[in-house]
Amino acid sequence: MNTIELVLQGASNVLFAGLVFGAGLPFIYAVALRVLTIGSVDYAEADGTIRSRPRFSSRVVAGVLIAVVIGGIVLGLVLIVASGFGMAVSFESFPPSIVEK
Amino acid sequence: MDAATLTLVLVIVTALAFDFTNGFHDTANAMAASISTGALKPKVAVGLSAILNLVGAFLSVEVALTVTNAVINLQTKDGAPDPALIADGGQAVLIIILAGLVGGILWNLFTWLLGLPSSSSHALLGGLTGAGAAGLGWSGVKWNGDGTKLDGVVGKILLPSLISPVIAMLVAFTGCWLVHKVTNSVMHRLEERYFRYGQVGSASLVSVAHGTNDAQKTMGVMTLALIASGHWSSTTSVPTWVKVSAATAIALGTYLGGWRIIRTLGKGLVDITPRQGMSSDGSTAAVLLAASHLGFALSTTHVATGSVLGGGLGRGTPVRWSTAGRMVTAWATTFPIAALVGALMWWVADSVGGAAGALVVFIILVAVSWWIYRQSRVDHVGAHNVNETWEDAAEVTSSPAEHGVLDASEAPPSDDVEPAEPTETKTH
Repeated sequence: MNTIELVLQGASNVLFAGLVFGAGLPFIYAVALRVLTIGSVDYAEADGTIRSRPRFSSRVVAGVLIAVVIGGIVLGLVLIVASGFGMAVSFESFPPSIVEK
Repeated sequence: MDAATLTLVLVIVTALAFDFTNGFHDTANAMAASISTGALKPKVAVGLSAILNLVGAFLSVEVALTVTNAVINLQTKDGAPDPALIADGGQAVLIIILAGLVGGILWNLFTWLLGLPSSSSHALLGGLTGAGAAGLGWSGVKWNGDGTKLDGVVGKILLPSLISPVIAMLVAFTGCWLVHKVTNSVMHRLEERYFRYGQVGSASLVSVAHGTNDAQKTMGVMTLALIASGHWSSTTSVPTWVKVSAATAIALGTYLGGWRIIRTLGKGLVDITPRQGMSSDGSTAAVLLAASHLGFALSTTHVATGSVLGGGLGRGTPVRWSTAGRMVTAWATTFPIAALVGALMWWVADSVGGAAGALVVFIILVAVSWWIYRQSRVDHVGAHNVNETWEDAAEVTSSPAEHGVLDASEAPPSDDVEPAEPTETKTH
């Protein structure tokens, strides 16, 4: 395989993973925040600031979505720590496991 | 102190100096967006980034001893210096490393003076390539891989640097577009705050990853110098003092903050909102981690810049293309110019000869660095004015569209912005 092919292959893998995590997680986070506003009740604080109180069901759904995002961040940390110790994270199985490089 | 020891000491000091410039040159990659959107106050941002870089550096237990193998034939596969080169007590290898480091530092300082984010790893590898070519001849340079994996100047530097900003831009663009699609109808004050949290989270990941990757490179170079001069023999571990000093140097550099670069990346390219900032930082973190996981070498700087640009374009925010153009010029010239300086320094050291040659190169480094520092004080950029309005607003060429309206409603409340001190006018 020549260098150009290798680069394109590497780049498309990075692009795919980047889209899934780099665009996907902010998107899920945004959906969570959006869900919180559905059917929420606005009220005014003593100083006049308008705040909104989300519904319970919204909070549950948003909580699950935010947990997914936090999972993604934890996965990122595991990747960094694993590579620092000369290990890699394998995505062959679910959940991903730490393996020797 | 004999001549060989003096050369070694100069190499170690220069390596730590490079690590320091690596820190402050790259603070912007992690923190520019958070600082410009007001998610973090400038001093808090650089402090957080410094601590996380320190943590990241200590997390790197693996030895990145083969760092020069990407571009020159100085070491064997296991990381030991080429036996033929250390017959003279390692002097030849030490001079190549020293000249390469000086090439990297000077280019880092020069681009910092211009406020341009350029890749520190390209500067280091460029300097080493130039010094290697000068010291070992053209055959000493590894131009391309053997076809089984990406390697050499073409496979590890040239092609990735063309592609990585595009990848980052696409990811940040997509993220930003999706985030706006979802939240456009509800713009609560509360949300802006939450987007800032998301931004700080991803910026923190970038800082840790930076500490792990980049401090490792300096540790590798220092250890290579120690092995070449016969002061260390293991190729599977790094002396503790090397680890501690390299981690400290990169953290101190980060804390100093490359304010000139932070300003360009945070304000000069695009003015972004917290939502765009979160998309940009999320993209930077994901692309960097994915690339390092997949063994695809790319530069943090190129990714961070591509992400900021993508975050801006995803919302149709006007981009200052002239700033973008200057950045691209800096990227394209980083490797070759650092290489030229590296080669020149090797030639100077070789002409003078021995430890005296190393000393002359070191004195050149100190003198030029001092000159650049003096120049930087003329139009000082620091935590106090990093977020001031970018002046050449007239340059903006793309359509402002509806963004002007959004800007007013999304601007961070004044209590989130550090009070601007009067601009310094006196000369130092």
